[in-house]
Amino acid sequence: MTSRRYKATFSLILFVLPAFVLYLLFLVIPMLQGSYYSFTDWNGLNKTYGFVGIQNFVEALRDDRYFRSAIWFTAKYVIFAVVFQNVVALLLAILIESRTRAKGLFRTIFFMPNMLSVIISTFMWVFVFSKVIPALSEYAVFKFLNLSWLGDPQVSFWSILLVSLWGGVGTLMLIYMSAIQGIPLHLKEAAIIDGATPFRMLRYITLPLIAHALTICIFLTLNSSFKVYDLVYALTGGGPGRGTQVITMNILEEAYQGNNRYGYASAKAIILFLIILVITMIQVSMMKKREVEA
Amino acid sequence: MSRRIYSVLAWAVLAVLAVYFLFPIYMAIVNSFKSEGEVYNSVLGLPSALKFDNYTEAFKKANMLRSGWNTVIVTVTGIVGIVACSSLAGYKLSRTRSRLSSWIFMLFVASMLIPFQTIMVTLTKMARDLGLQGSPLGLGVVCAGLGVNMAIFLYHGFVKGIPRELDESASMDGCGEWKGFFLIIFPLLLPITFTIVVLNLLWLWNDFLLPVLLLNDYRQYTLVLTINMFFGKYSRDWALILASLILSSIPIVLIFAFFQRWIIQGITEGAVKG
Repeated sequence: MTSRRYKATFSLILFVLPAFVLYLLFLVIPMLQGSYYSFTDWNGLNKTYGFVGIQNFVEALRDDRYFRSAIWFTAKYVIFAVVFQNVVALLLAILIESRTRAKGLFRTIFFMPNMLSVIISTFMWVFVFSKVIPALSEYAVFKFLNLSWLGDPQVSFWSILLVSLWGGVGTLMLIYMSAIQGIPLHLKEAAIIDGATPFRMLRYITLPLIAHALTICIFLTLNSSFKVYDLVYALTGGGPGRGTQVITMNILEEAYQGNNRYGYASAKAIILFLIILVITMIQVSMMKKREVEA
Repeated sequence: MSRRIYSVLAWAVLAVLAVYFLFPIYMAIVNSFKSEGEVYNSVLGLPSALKFDNYTEAFKKANMLRSGWNTVIVTVTGIVGIVACSSLAGYKLSRTRSRLSSWIFMLFVASMLIPFQTIMVTLTKMARDLGLQGSPLGLGVVCAGLGVNMAIFLYHGFVKGIPRELDESASMDGCGEWKGFFLIIFPLLLPITFTIVVLNLLWLWNDFLLPVLLLNDYRQYTLVLTINMFFGKYSRDWALILASLILSSIPIVLIFAFFQRWIIQGITEGAVKG
């Protein structure tokens, strides 16, 4: 009997080993190393370094003006991006699902940007913001478009949101669409017979019954928005100055571009991890409670 | 009557949003056929002639064949690595009921919470120490390491739906464990394998930050990195840039056009189960 147990354990280890080695090398060890370096003043090159305790964390949160402003900018972006992306994705899903014709066409149009690389599609937007919109704003009707879309941090914030909405809605829309398809038909019919308006349908039938999709989509958008990099890099490069710098950019700047403060950058990376962890945990545990069964 | 108004309103909203979504792509395509001067003088107009000069120039100058090939290497290495390692591990972890097994599974799942940005700096160092920096193949291996946790999670859930009797019948017919896995189990895992391939294809093909950190020579660059470099180099010549953007998007658009149904299904399932 014990020899069979050993055999089972042995075969388990054999099957899991390749994946576990990769996992250990490229996820676990970097994570542990990062946590370790975050308490040191290592510069990434020297053989020697000193322990500085929690000084890196204190400096980042208390004294580092650029890091703090990157956190605020990212936080502001997260709030708007999560709300806009989910509202628009849900709206699209409901509208497309209520159509009888051209469903596939609309789905393709709104999903298309998700297939493209963020860098490549954002360069198209750079073209739109720097060449097309200025040309449009020469016409009287579009006069209001005459803004410095990429040059003024106040305006660029909205440019970034506009592009993130464009690129982020597709996947969410698909998830909402499949959730809406899962709503039992008899509930919709009952509501229509009772004379429910479209708004009441949404409030009392659709939303409660797709709560699980809401949990997933808000989780996904929270996660991706806190980690945003490619889009901001391609659109504004974090500028002008550091006006649109996000957390991930600030970390990279600290680790590489001339600064070489490896340990300090690791501390900032840990802070980002903790922020995402705490916020998504709260979100998921709060929203899970409100889900109902059909 | 109100139903009628609602319907008109719905079409109007969809139309406005469709214009917003198609606008940049339309603008990029139209202007990619113009000459540099034409872009400068009439951005909004149609091109005077349908010339592919920008495309041939972009294809040559950006060395699309080489960077496309590099991208294929990264993507294929990553996907093959992820599917091979995770299907074995996910299957076995799901079938074995022991404390060790559930512990290992928990470790994999917990790591899904680690953002790439938290480990990127130390990961780059690790890749350098292992000699994986500076080659598309090495990048693919690192990507496989980052992708196994979610794939194992998806396989683990899927295997629960496959009756155990199938494993047992295989071993009774004298099939060894490994042979049984490849001949009987793996074919049954194909639906979820397809989902995993789709999700990782989109990630690997379009990834930017990790390739930037791991590839240091333009000859190793993937398509996205090449375009990024190209953009910096020819930033004034929009016609050329736009042609390169369109050209580099064609492979993924073609893949989408052929496999749309499966891709959409894969993404929905991956998200709902992940």
